[in-house]
Amino acid sequence: MNASRPETVVVIDDDRAIRLSCEKILARSGYEVVCFENGALGLEAVADRKPALVLVDLKMPGISGLDVIARVREIDPTAVVIVITGYASVESAVDAMKAGAYDFLPKPFSPDELRLVADRGLERRRLVLEARRGELERELLKRRFVTFVSHQLKSPLVAVHQYLEVLRRLGETEDVQAKREMWLDRCLERTRELTSIIEDWLTFASLEQSSLSRTRETVDVRIPIRKLVEGYEEIAAEQSVSLTTNLPANPCPVNGDPTCLTILFDNLIINAIRYNRPGGSVTVGAECRPGEVVVSVTDTGIGIPESYLSMLFDEFFRVGGRSEGPSGTGLGLPISRRIATEHGGVIDVHSVEGAGSTFTVRLPRHEVDTAPEDTGADTNREKASLS
Amino acid sequence: MPTDVKVLLIDDDADFRASVRSLLEGEGYSVSEATSGRQGLEQILADRPDAIVLDIMMETLEEGYGVTQAIKIKDEFRDCREVPIVMVSSIQESPDERFPMAGEIDMVRPDRYMTKPIDIPRFLELIESVTRGRKASRV
Repeated sequence: MNASRPETVVVIDDDRAIRLSCEKILARSGYEVVCFENGALGLEAVADRKPALVLVDLKMPGISGLDVIARVREIDPTAVVIVITGYASVESAVDAMKAGAYDFLPKPFSPDELRLVADRGLERRRLVLEARRGELERELLKRRFVTFVSHQLKSPLVAVHQYLEVLRRLGETEDVQAKREMWLDRCLERTRELTSIIEDWLTFASLEQSSLSRTRETVDVRIPIRKLVEGYEEIAAEQSVSLTTNLPANPCPVNGDPTCLTILFDNLIINAIRYNRPGGSVTVGAECRPGEVVVSVTDTGIGIPESYLSMLFDEFFRVGGRSEGPSGTGLGLPISRRIATEHGGVIDVHSVEGAGSTFTVRLPRHEVDTAPEDTGADTNREKASLS
Repeated sequence: MPTDVKVLLIDDDADFRASVRSLLEGEGYSVSEATSGRQGLEQILADRPDAIVLDIMMETLEEGYGVTQAIKIKDEFRDCREVPIVMVSSIQESPDERFPMAGEIDMVRPDRYMTKPIDIPRFLELIESVTRGRKASRV
């Protein structure tokens, strides 16, 4: 206990003898003790002095002990309540605990018993306060997170709104006439951005709640990769980026959710195209190694500054400004990492600023029964681990 | 019509800057832009604007307050301390609730805080009123 600031204990009991003995015993232990003969006075003191401990008699005239416990919990949920009662029946103890009491002191009690219960209560209080600090920190983090999300959602909306309002106001002036087409294009672009932020956000929220990857089936990663690359050929061509695959002839099986794995590879491929430069290239490769399937997406794009690499998979992190570069939601990579982790895999990045990046996903290889092992490596490893 | 009155826009959203720039130029202001707090501070020294429109959340959550803080404490900004600042943010909460940085709040009078999307007539009125005195004192 901190000697300079003694903990306050409020004692509420209609029995004068109990009040006096509590005061004497606890004051000697270094507590600051204040006693009251009924619930009304006691609760006033609780509200006033914010005690660490409240000792309350269960059976009192006026406000009942149980009601006092409930009120104390309302006033200060961190205050620890200990019940004193003359009839230490299991039933009254259970009721008191239900109402929020932490401990129980049957009458008559010895000074040692009282001190023990009080010390235990104080230890409890310390833990409660500690947990509360943690809660507050989490709350602060949550608020920060909400601020980020609202800012992310509102920014495109604000941009569109402001364009439209200025267009309406200055629509007839020459300056704005010239800009009209460009501004409308920007409005469309920003609404697209907003749509994809919302989509990503919904994906992310469902990942938060439960694991998104509900199903587990054998997925040959070459199949979603081929489909995605086919789908992106046109977009890549538009940006003068060559998009190629480097896939083995044999299957690369993993045990996973095909939709989630598609989302994972999709994020990496679209990033590689987006953060590229005209004339650049994107190569999507897969490799089936003993025990693991490795998918890599390599681009010759703008690369990522080293100082950003550690934050790359954080929610809402985007390299550089929000609206200067290509539009992105800042959720793609966190989602990708989440999916990789859910599949027992890892995602990693190697990047050289100005030269390009390689994102590598390692997933546990699914050993399909029908496919006989073609190398002895795995069998040997198995033997080794058995011996 | 205000002429030769300079407004600096500090905001990381290029689209917001583009529309507000046209709006202000339409009213006869001369407008310069900065895309970050750091760039904004450089521009303040270079351009000596008559008013600053300052976004709060840019690269970091409270970047705008970093700018007001720097103006307040850094010696090279001693001549710029009287430049009126209009804070803008898409986050609706009042600045003192949202950002408990007690020292900064006195710099941002509530009438100089606007939620995005900004109300255009009120915004223009505000810019006009905060630059009116400055123009007179310069002439």
